Amino acid sequence: MKLIKIAAAAAVVAASFTAPAFAEEKMNDLEIAHTAYTAGGLDIRYAHLALALSENDSVREFANVMIRDHSAVNQEAGALIQKLNVTPQDNGLSQALVKGAAEKRAEFVKLSGKAFDCAYAQNELGYHQIVNQTVEGKFIPWATVEPLKALLEDALVTFKAHEKHAENMVNGLHCGS
Amino acid sequence: MPRSGKIGGALSGAAFSLMLTCSAAFAGETHQVFIEKFEFAPANLTIKRGDMVEFVNKDIAPHTATEESDYLWDTGELAKNQSARIEFSEIGTSNYFCAFHPHMKAEITVTPN
Ligand SMILES: [Cu+2]
Repeated sequence: MKLIKIAAAAAVVAASFTAPAFAEEKMNDLEIAHTAYTAGGLDIRYAHLALALSENDSVREFANVMIRDHSAVNQEAGALIQKLNVTPQDNGLSQALVKGAAEKRAEFVKLSGKAFDCAYAQNELGYHQIVNQTVEGKFIPWATVEPLKALLEDALVTFKAHEKHAENMVNGLHCGS
Repeated sequence: MPRSGKIGGALSGAAFSLMLTCSAAFAGETHQVFIEKFEFAPANLTIKRGDMVEFVNKDIAPHTATEESDYLWDTGELAKNQSARIEFSEIGTSNYFCAFHPHMKAEITVTPN
């Protein structure tokens, strides 16, 4: 599976996830696997952007955690895919995520300093909130293959920790002021 | 592969080697702390001086167990199912956390043997 080089946008991602075309249509195991893997790859890509553009310690630390944790989760996913000898299926939700993230990344590379830090931090918070709602409320109930369900449950614990971490990062940056 | 380490970063060389001698003479026990779902379990562990603690990461996400006040001891990065052992030769309470996920906190209390 290729790693998709994109950054993500909470607003666009939120729109994608809540659009009836994606939200109501039940996805199969291979589509869920594809989208979960894609979402992780997008966040890694985004973290690399943060490491390139931010000089803020808390932002850089967060970005490093994202790279470390999402790489570990995607590595497990890759191992599971190999073990089950299946090919994840690209789908509308994966494509919407990739597209939304590309647009957001193009926007973010024009920013620097606090403007970038805040945009990145707020986007990470929104992104993890949406991903977590989707994984918890849809992917886990929809998954039928036991090891995939178990992997998603493990991943959700990690992503929830990220959501909390992102919240702390946003608060610490005082973006409103 | 388990890694191992010893505490003593804050001790002077002489005091440190003395403690190593003491702990070497005491055949301590090995306790386990599991890192699971972003928590250390048990979060409060009481051991005797010279005992070892083996930290085992059960999460997909890599974690560490790192002494909080001054990095006096540290397991280093533990990937899934990796473990590291730390020997505790100083009496007192060690607060520690995960260097990657700082909200993960726990403590180990070392009592005289
Ligand atoms: Cu951790």
